[in-house]
Amino acid sequence: MFHAKIKSEVLKGIVDVVSTLVDEAKFNMNADGFDLKAVDPAHVAMIEMNVEKGAFEEFTADETELGIDLDKIKEVLRLARSGDIIEMKQDEEKNRLVLNVGNITRRMNLVDITGMSDPRVPNLSLPAMVEVTSDELQKGIRAAESVSDHIALTATPEDFEMYSEGDTDSATLRLPKELLLSLECEEQVKSLFPLDYFSNMVRSIPAGSAVSINLGSDYPVKLEFEIADKKGSVRYLLAPRIESD
Amino acid sequence: MGVNLSAIITAENLLLEDLENKVIAIDAYNAIYQFLSIIRGPDGTPLKDATGRVTSHLTGLLYRNVNLLEAGIKPIYVFDGVPHELKSQTLAERSERRVKAHQEWKEAISEGDIERARCKATQSSRMTNEIAESSRILLTYLGIPVVQAPEEGEAQAAYMASNGEAWAASSQDFDSLLFGAPRLVRNLNISGRRKLPGSRGYKDINIEFIELSKVLEENELQSREQLVDLAILVGTDYNPGIRGIGPKRGLKLIQKHGDLQSALDAISEDIPQAECIQKIFLDSEKIEVSGLEWNEPDRDKIIDYLSRDHGFSKNRVTSALDRLKSKKRDNKSEQSGSQVSLDRWV
Repeated sequence: MFHAKIKSEVLKGIVDVVSTLVDEAKFNMNADGFDLKAVDPAHVAMIEMNVEKGAFEEFTADETELGIDLDKIKEVLRLARSGDIIEMKQDEEKNRLVLNVGNITRRMNLVDITGMSDPRVPNLSLPAMVEVTSDELQKGIRAAESVSDHIALTATPEDFEMYSEGDTDSATLRLPKELLLSLECEEQVKSLFPLDYFSNMVRSIPAGSAVSINLGSDYPVKLEFEIADKKGSVRYLLAPRIESD
Repeated sequence: MGVNLSAIITAENLLLEDLENKVIAIDAYNAIYQFLSIIRGPDGTPLKDATGRVTSHLTGLLYRNVNLLEAGIKPIYVFDGVPHELKSQTLAERSERRVKAHQEWKEAISEGDIERARCKATQSSRMTNEIAESSRILLTYLGIPVVQAPEEGEAQAAYMASNGEAWAASSQDFDSLLFGAPRLVRNLNISGRRKLPGSRGYKDINIEFIELSKVLEENELQSREQLVDLAILVGTDYNPGIRGIGPKRGLKLIQKHGDLQSALDAISEDIPQAECIQKIFLDSEKIEVSGLEWNEPDRDKIIDYLSRDHGFSKNRVTSALDRLKSKKRDNKSEQSGSQVSLDRWV
């Protein structure tokens, strides 16, 4: 059983973060909220998400798994204005999800979740942690986008750097310690990432949020941030590009 | 040359692109011979520079390696050391045949029979120290690693493929399999459209890929030792083989009797030195090679060596080298690594 009401912009925030990587996802509902784990089809990026019931205006749920087509939720969100309340209700008999926005009712089939098992989450120990605002990350990405398809993230005890190099040009965003929210790094670490993934992930982070970046050398990066007015948390993992071995 | 086992071997066709990022240990003499016999003027005269030095092999090595490097392949050229004494007879025979072919070529030229001249010239290809040395120099300028084998280049190349230093050995000869190469790539240096010797027709030659394990499996052989025994029955570079026994009959004999000696006993034949030949294939002298590097081609030196010293057209050499330069630009992304999956950390 699942029945909830949520502000359209909060739902949009949740959907944007997940739909960056997958079109459909399995939401694990329980009495306190829901969580979700999904990996993109190429197994390059992963999302783990927890949202408390406090993110919703109203929330009641049993322990249940709902397979949801995120594109369909987006269609409903397009019908809503900011501040509108969206009512979501599971129709167990017909195996449907029913959404109400104002006077509109949208019914959608739930996605078959057999075969949608939770991905296994890599166990990583990442030596460096950088905390920065999402706006700074956006700047670094914009600078890199015109130059290359890849972006190198480097942390040293003094600074954090986003660097990309093309045929002839290169771009760097260097953030010294003073401009970071925090920096824990004992020795330099550096990994290279595909810019398209990284950029899409960062774009889905709410503006002005603090993002903690966990980084190693030739290791996946972990991005952690909060959504739904701090009632939800997201961990993104992105696999690096590695010199061919 | 080498053992002829084609009747019992099935090969898979590959494209150059399939070999991207793969290290291939190439039997250098084998490759150079191919260039020497294929790259010739219409009447069969090899290409020569103003001072009369043969340059067919340099043309072949330049263009073919540009193709290989452009496809992202990492070639290693393995040169022969001192040939085994048992091979001397084969070599002497070959040399005789070459002298004869050379004679016939001259006759054909004087008679104006171009087709025959070309055919005979192809058979008269000869490796000289100068050819080997100039090949080494060009390969080094191209940034391609060169390995000197203690004995057979093919044995060394096969060894490098078996110990993982290379992904595969490349040679025209099936001997590489006998020497223990788990993977053999044939036609690497001649794939494409080729004129057939002695005919006016053209044929598309594909790269062939052969796996030792599959050859053994398909022929129900238990081990490489049995394949070697079969080859010795049929004839190798080191022995003439038993008259009237080809790969198919030989295979049956080995399958039935298990090993060379039992097979020979069964048909009341004898191969002198059989054990010694087995040893050449199974246990010849090899050296450990590691840390080979592929460097940037040295443009200036290549242009200098080929254009100034050997009379190559400078434009053609630079345009070949330019292909590598533009390839490198395309490969910028490769330089920045390749995407890995998160599964690696699960």
